[in-house]
Amino acid sequence: MIRSHVLVCGGTGCTSSGSVAMGEKLENELIARGLDDEIKVVRTGCFGLCALGPIMIVYPEGTFYSHVTLDDIPEIVEEHLLKGRVVERLIYNDTGKELNHHEVFSLNDTGFYKKQKRLALRNCGVINPESIDEYIAMDGYAALGKALTEMTPAQVIQTIKDSGLRGRGGGGFSTGTKWDFAAKSVSDKKYVVCNGDEGDPGAFMDRSVLEGDPHTVLEAMAIAGYAIGADEGYIYVRAEYPIAVARLQIAINQAREYGLLGKDIFSSGFNFDVQLRLEIGRAHV
Amino acid sequence: MKSLAELAKIREQMRDKISLREGSNSTRIVVGMATCGIAAGARPVLNAFVEEISKEGLAATVTVTQTGCIGICQYEPVVEVFESGKEKVTYVKMTADRAKRVVAEHIKGGKIVSEYTIGNTKA
Repeated sequence: MIRSHVLVCGGTGCTSSGSVAMGEKLENELIARGLDDEIKVVRTGCFGLCALGPIMIVYPEGTFYSHVTLDDIPEIVEEHLLKGRVVERLIYNDTGKELNHHEVFSLNDTGFYKKQKRLALRNCGVINPESIDEYIAMDGYAALGKALTEMTPAQVIQTIKDSGLRGRGGGGFSTGTKWDFAAKSVSDKKYVVCNGDEGDPGAFMDRSVLEGDPHTVLEAMAIAGYAIGADEGYIYVRAEYPIAVARLQIAINQAREYGLLGKDIFSSGFNFDVQLRLEIGRAHV
Repeated sequence: MKSLAELAKIREQMRDKISLREGSNSTRIVVGMATCGIAAGARPVLNAFVEEISKEGLAATVTVTQTGCIGICQYEPVVEVFESGKEKVTYVKMTADRAKRVVAEHIKGGKIVSEYTIGNTKA
């Protein structure tokens, strides 16, 4: 029976600061201590604090460790996971307050996270992006289920209009209005195209959501497809985003296996499938 | 996926498994797991709590976690139960069987198992 989850960031930032080796060492150390059937290591997407990577969160306490090195792993296992003593020197604390001994100091206590309410990135750093079951546990695919079984495409579009959702590319165009135009366009065949090729220098938001919560992109595309009458979707993604590409493909395969992509989803008669297309080169001016 | 019920079933099954990561539960069962606690047998106690809480379907509202030495090593394994708005209850000399009873009577039933509490135990 699992009593603790250790979340290891598998986003691009932490991967480049060594989180893959850290996760492996942690697993080996747990096995060596006979703790591997009590403590589970979960690789997540980006938590948003890449500068402090590699980072690690231990639940149920919610202890947030930053700048973890391979040499720190035995101490975390021995002290925290085995004996229940938090390794205070590794705790990320930006509050300027001294920690009390035994104090539970979690992510939401830090100044960086305290005022954040994450919406699009709500699952990033919380779930394993390679597990469709974890996404479903966080109410994943429930919106698609509701749209397909309880709503007409027109109602879906109205809901999106009422929500005030806008495009995030800079123009800020109303998403509901865009879907309305697409729905009214007369054609035998329509597509949903997701542009995951963020070209702005240093932009990481598409990458974070694709790496950390790929199923949310697939679910949203399927809902858009239902709303506008499309049965096929394409995601165009940067080839320089290998983690995003790999996790998207895993997500597509899992969704197909569960029948959340494919034919007659939720017995509604609605068909929808998604394919990936990788960028094959572009000119940067 | 053919129905919402099918999706709900997966959600329910998975919910317990990831509720650990929410950490906002109102009830916390804290097991002393320092050297003294481990030597006295805290590990089977901790595992018994985790299993019973899950078996009783309480994982969404009850967190089982561990702490270091509380300073009364002769009473280990020591388990403290924190419920919001209530005074902390300290159980001592715990075993896996005692853990089961605490879950059934105290956590589920709301009645403190007073014979295991520190006030009723002689060193």
